[in-house]
Amino acid sequence: MPEGSAALQLNVGDRVVYPNQGVCRVAAIDVKEVAGQKLTFVTMRREEDGAVVMVPEGKILSIGVRKVASAADVEEIYAFLRSDSDKADLDWKQRARTNLDRMTQGGILGLAEVVKGLQVLSELRPLPTKERELYDNARHLLVSEVAAALGTAEANAEDSIDIVLFPPGRERPKRTAAEFARPGGDEEDLDLDSDLMGLEGGELDLPSDEEPPAEPEEEAAEEGAEEEASEEASEDAPKKRGRPPKAKPAEEGEPAAPKKRGRPPKPKPEVTAEAAAEPAAPKKRGRPPKAKPPESAEPAEPAAPKKRGRPPKAKPPEGE
Amino acid sequence: MIRVVTLDPFDDKQLAKFNRTLYTAFGVGSEHSGSADVPAGMSEPLDAEKLLDEVKGIRAYKDDKVLLLTSRKLKDRELPSGKAPTTGFARYGKDRAVLTIAPYKDLETGYKAIARHALHQLGTLWELHHCLDPRCSMYPPWTPSFNQGDHIFCTFCREKSEQKIRLAKS
Repeated sequence: MPEGSAALQLNVGDRVVYPNQGVCRVAAIDVKEVAGQKLTFVTMRREEDGAVVMVPEGKILSIGVRKVASAADVEEIYAFLRSDSDKADLDWKQRARTNLDRMTQGGILGLAEVVKGLQVLSELRPLPTKERELYDNARHLLVSEVAAALGTAEANAEDSIDIVLFPPGRERPKRTAAEFARPGGDEEDLDLDSDLMGLEGGELDLPSDEEPPAEPEEEAAEEGAEEEASEEASEDAPKKRGRPPKAKPAEEGEPAAPKKRGRPPKPKPEVTAEAAAEPAAPKKRGRPPKAKPPESAEPAEPAAPKKRGRPPKAKPPEGE
Repeated sequence: MIRVVTLDPFDDKQLAKFNRTLYTAFGVGSEHSGSADVPAGMSEPLDAEKLLDEVKGIRAYKDDKVLLLTSRKLKDRELPSGKAPTTGFARYGKDRAVLTIAPYKDLETGYKAIARHALHQLGTLWELHHCLDPRCSMYPPWTPSFNQGDHIFCTFCREKSEQKIRLAKS
């Protein structure tokens, strides 16, 4: 639940913060009839440009509208920005999701977290365009709320934030990727194994990267044989989903040759003794020659050259 | 249109060069629009916010941005999180900014740094926030490296300022 929304009693003239929009002032609270229902609407006017939005009173909490932060909250924001605790997540997907949540539901502290996180990340490497835009939006919302909370000009609010983020007389430190790494290894931190798309891992049935992709025909043949063998062996066992395990090579026999990757060679035609004796004529490339007419038949008269153009008109009979 | 209004005497040639720099940076006309007097009763160091409110006799159109240029020092601002070194001040999205050339004695001596500060203040008038790029003029101006940089914007800030200027024109 958003900050300060537990008991949000709005009156005309109150200053509120609409998530992702900025500081608004409640212009009116009135009852309107919509589709036969009487609903109470809160009309808010954005202070920045005067844009008006009407929200049903029942939706105020779920949208995340909240009162403007107090001066005490702003002091906490300064303390948070001053601390060196927040390290951005190096996994961009995780970072984007977290930042989106912070922007919509995190309150003023969420905005500060986005600004601080992206600022720290920019000390490691330049921000990509989308994150630069996100940083600018978060900074704009944070500055306008701090200005509203302290009753000061936006320029002063921004400077008060940046004095904390960029202390006078000091350059920003250069960060290394090692500072962002969390104890326990990168892959665990990136959480790449977890369900990112809301799908179960088994449903996707993706081949692991370690296994070389096998030829479909070969694979089908192998699978068929393995399925038969496994069905015979244990019919009662629960059927496992996904790719069946590979058959282990027999230990007694010769060690199997290493499996070649790529397309298998085409089967060679069986070579007979006659064919082996005569060397095959070299295959000619290009269009095959036209079939010649049989020599036994009489040679036909050469056809008259085909005239091009419109055929001549039939002449009228001369007798009439 | 950018209008440079001087609160103290400056050399005309240096002012013309200064205006050319502003024109190059923003792509809008820039000119010296005369001088104005510091309000009576204000002493050095000047209170920048009060100065912007109280200075009189400036003629400008609605979309114009006015830059007040002075050689007198500005008073550092006391903010809730600390003291902000003040070489200039501009209200976000409004039409007036003030800039001091102190500690330099004239425009030519510290031209690069002064032009960079001017871009910063005018950028604030066009609703640019502070930037993360140390090469950009919108980088916080109290950082040690600020005065060494060129008077340019980063790609993001340049595009944003161009967009704001286009919107203002339309």
